Amino acid sequence: MNNLLTRMPTDLEVEEELRLHIDFLLRENIQRGMSPEEARAATLKRFGNLDRVKNECVEICRRSRPLQRAFKVCVVLLALTGLILRISSTQLHVGRIGTMLIAIATVSRLLLHVRSLTPSRFLPKNETSSFSILSQK
Amino acid sequence: MAKDRTDLMQGTLELLILKTLERESLHGYGIVQRIHESAEDLLKVEDGSLYPALYRMQERGWIKSEWGVSENNRRARFYKLTRAGQKQLERERANWERVSKAISRILQTA
Repeated sequence: MNNLLTRMPTDLEVEEELRLHIDFLLRENIQRGMSPEEARAATLKRFGNLDRVKNECVEICRRSRPLQRAFKVCVVLLALTGLILRISSTQLHVGRIGTMLIAIATVSRLLLHVRSLTPSRFLPKNETSSFSILSQK
Repeated sequence: MAKDRTDLMQGTLELLILKTLERESLHGYGIVQRIHESAEDLLKVEDGSLYPALYRMQERGWIKSEWGVSENNRRARFYKLTRAGQKQLERERANWERVSKAISRILQTA
């Protein structure tokens, strides 16, 4: 039951945490006498693929958020209830309630999807990183 | 001369993280530094691989995290072992000892 109570980081918190690690590595490399350019290259090499790591972390955190999971289940149940009402009922007003439930479920699912989008998803895939500090030329 | 570094075997990163957090709570960079220091730079740990492992372990309830202030006065997420994590550490340590003993025996006899 422990994991149900765990508050997983938000997408922004994941990014903040990874950024801190990157900054520590950059500082460490500069203190070793590297130029900023060398430090950036060495940091990326040691850290690995930054965007892949970030996306993996974000996915883990999203699937682990209990409230969000419960909300998704509710949305599906709402849509199913609406569908059953529409199919099984011969009364017009009950059918309308079914349509309304389906509409509410659809809008909620869309909102969930939009909320899960992050700015980095819209960056070109060939960018080395979505972290500005590492993208500087 | 550069030391030969060995890639970490799959599944062992979690054991190393649990062991590292046994004594103190640390942020991600601190965990990697501590692993490098303890292994005297003989193990190659890609820093980025740490975070998915940390989040998975948190998901399983082995570790928990809270925001604190790092040594450079930045907001940092500090991880600490939970009771479930302590038990997991004992299990993984015992498992590791069994596996390494078995491999050593095979290497000696083959």
